[in-house]
Amino acid sequence: MFSYFVRRMFFVVFVVWGVTFATFFIANVVPIDPAIAALGDNAREEQIKEFRERYGLDRPIWQQYLIYMGRLLAGDLGNSLRTGRAVIEDLKEFFPATLELSVAAFLVMLILGVPAGILAALRQNKASDVTVRIMALIGGATPVFFLAVLLQFVLARQLDLLPVQGRLDGFTFPPPRVTGMMGIDTLLARDWAAFLDSLRHLVLPAFVLGMFSAAILARMTRATMLEILSQDYIRTARAKGVAGRAIVFRHALKNASLPILTLLGGLLGGLLSGAVLTETIFSWPGIGRYVTQSATSLDFPAVMGVTLLVGLVYALINLVVDLLYAFLDPRIRYA
Amino acid sequence: MKLLKAVGLIAAISLGSALAQDRTQTLIYGGDWSDLITMDPQVSYEFSGGLVTDNLYETLVKYEGADLSTLKPGLAESWKVDRGRDTWDITFRLRRGSKFSSGNEVTAKDVVYTFERALAIKGPGSFLFTEIAQLKPGATRAVDNYTVVVSIPKTASPGSFLSILTFNIGGIVDSETVQKNAKGNDFGKEWLTNNSAGSGPFRLVRWDRGSQVLLEANPNARIKPKLQRVILREIKEPAVLRTALESGEIDIAEGLTPEALRALSNNPRFRTFKADSLRLNYLGMNVKEGSPFANKLVRDAVRYSINQDELVNGLVQGNGTKIQTLIPKGLLGYDPRTPYTFDPARAKRLLAQAGYPNGLEFELLVSTGICGGGIPCADIAAKIQSDLAKGGLKANVKAIANAEVLRTYRAQNHQMVLVGWSPDFPDPDGNATPWADFNARSLAWRNVWNDPTAIRLANQAALETEPAKRVALYRLLTDYVLKNGPYAVLYQPAVPLGLSVKVEGYVRNAQGQVRFENISKLP
Repeated sequence: MFSYFVRRMFFVVFVVWGVTFATFFIANVVPIDPAIAALGDNAREEQIKEFRERYGLDRPIWQQYLIYMGRLLAGDLGNSLRTGRAVIEDLKEFFPATLELSVAAFLVMLILGVPAGILAALRQNKASDVTVRIMALIGGATPVFFLAVLLQFVLARQLDLLPVQGRLDGFTFPPPRVTGMMGIDTLLARDWAAFLDSLRHLVLPAFVLGMFSAAILARMTRATMLEILSQDYIRTARAKGVAGRAIVFRHALKNASLPILTLLGGLLGGLLSGAVLTETIFSWPGIGRYVTQSATSLDFPAVMGVTLLVGLVYALINLVVDLLYAFLDPRIRYA
Repeated sequence: MKLLKAVGLIAAISLGSALAQDRTQTLIYGGDWSDLITMDPQVSYEFSGGLVTDNLYETLVKYEGADLSTLKPGLAESWKVDRGRDTWDITFRLRRGSKFSSGNEVTAKDVVYTFERALAIKGPGSFLFTEIAQLKPGATRAVDNYTVVVSIPKTASPGSFLSILTFNIGGIVDSETVQKNAKGNDFGKEWLTNNSAGSGPFRLVRWDRGSQVLLEANPNARIKPKLQRVILREIKEPAVLRTALESGEIDIAEGLTPEALRALSNNPRFRTFKADSLRLNYLGMNVKEGSPFANKLVRDAVRYSINQDELVNGLVQGNGTKIQTLIPKGLLGYDPRTPYTFDPARAKRLLAQAGYPNGLEFELLVSTGICGGGIPCADIAAKIQSDLAKGGLKANVKAIANAEVLRTYRAQNHQMVLVGWSPDFPDPDGNATPWADFNARSLAWRNVWNDPTAIRLANQAALETEPAKRVALYRLLTDYVLKNGPYAVLYQPAVPLGLSVKVEGYVRNAQGQVRFENISKLP
């Protein structure tokens, strides 16, 4: 088990290196000059020259890559071309917001997706199955911005039930920043009103973001459950008189969990890599929005930093999923 | 369950009371502040950065309200310009009793420190000091605690320098506090990115990047604001900006779409208006040898082919003003005349006279982004293209990333380009020199327009200290460039704003400055 873990960690490092290599060279194929993008129209020629020298943009690309990798091994992601700030500081600032939103969306997805899928499988071709399938179709096909703006209009503007944007009401004083996750920071500050307010702010974006994944998850759960429910051992269990609930949860769901787990890993990775549209529409300061803004201003160090983080997140999630396989399926053993 | 109810009740009460206390004392200003990168007045060169730092720091002189042509006392109660042997010597007399948020008094040494700091840090706006004002290290001297003399070379314009001082680069910092927080040789640059040390009516309490900036009344300030707290809420999406305003989450929304503006103007709970900007959207024509635009008749044909009224009232939907000369409305020397009318027949005649009886084909370079007034640049280009076609000019529109448009323009590799320009400081010279003086390596240079008359007039006007004479010189210059220059000015975009009717005293000048201290909120 341990040697497997070590081998997999080596693999993670390799994947992340591959990510840096690919992003660096793709980014540098773009013919646009980051100095002009960063300094704008009014910049003087000398300013542009000085900028290129300061960030090493005047050197050959392989040299730039070596410098970048050298810094990276020392744990330095470099400075953002746009803000001049250490990229690591920006990631610390923006990733917690994404993490908070992703976890909430993940819960929405689990709570909506798995039960709906099971229900649909158990009542195949009945009214509830058709309802779930239609909902999943709508959920998967509705563009995020449409759903978001619709909910904002109905729930926030017309009914005034939920806030439109942000993580906390403007009139509420924000808690001291500890984790960067508003829900946790308000709890740490024992500011209950702010905590409830932060939850209210989380509802809409988490729902909008979770809805799409929930639709995929519901369909996948339904299909897997249907397949398993038609297996011989389920029939045998039924014949033996095992209670319906035990069949569904102990026998069928546990066996369906492997493919669902694989899908969950991918979906969580997707959520954690930042949801540009959701973050933009709800004014949520996460890394999705950060990386878009960095990319449009050709801020390579920032884009590289985010790509690296996302690559790492994906690799780690995959590792955890693999390890969970062994836990769920006793036939799988790692040596 | 009971416990839950009790918690809920307490929360609701405390939330309710907190809101009741705060609402009239807190202003929430929504807009796209995503260009914010620092709160350091000597480093910030972004619109949003200026909006914030203008309220954290005071300058020696300032503009008040929407008027950008009359200097008013700031930290300096008076100033005078003396003609030295090789220099202009500008003497500022500071008022006594102005205090920084730390409680330290503002004295001459803080002014000297601030100006030297700007020169040492070399921020993106430092060329205003080093190139426009030609300010050198050591040229700012404290005569006594309340008197400062700044000497700039005779070749620089004292008028420009004074107007540069209204800009945030001239925001006076608390030298003691900054030096205490400096790291190595950084002049406190890292610390001032996230903190404030000014004598302005507000101090910076908190900046959550990508989310909000929180300002609170500076307890030691000479100018007492009417509100205790101002929050800048970052909302990038115009549709959300409107919904947030309508649901009461924000009090002011800056950057609404023309549609949202129209809808809000019919709602009695809101006020809408279009704030002026100093931006000009224009066509630049490369007049280098061999280019068809080298012929003045062709440039005139372009100017006669543009249906400016249709552009401004139709596509721009009133989010901009019609203008043809190079000094925007709001600055000294603005010339409201618009002699070029839409006359395609005349354009065709001019083209024939210039030797292009069958018309002319060329490339029009445009950004894929948004142009002033919230309109996609490509839409404006399409309108221009159809107008020009009526005058016999066939423009092939090429839409590329903005940075790429600028790179091509800077390399003088364009034929015709559709871009915008905002002056670096609120003085006519902020437009006149770049637009007219080839040697400044700015717009005239990019369009390869090397015209001795324009250069001479621009330099003369920049150095003129007598306002009436200056206006007369700018009248000559704007008229000359209008008829001879390589430009066709399209419109001056406005910034569309929506406000709750409860907000009073809001004024935004064309430079984008808003003095939060004058704003109050009705319950």
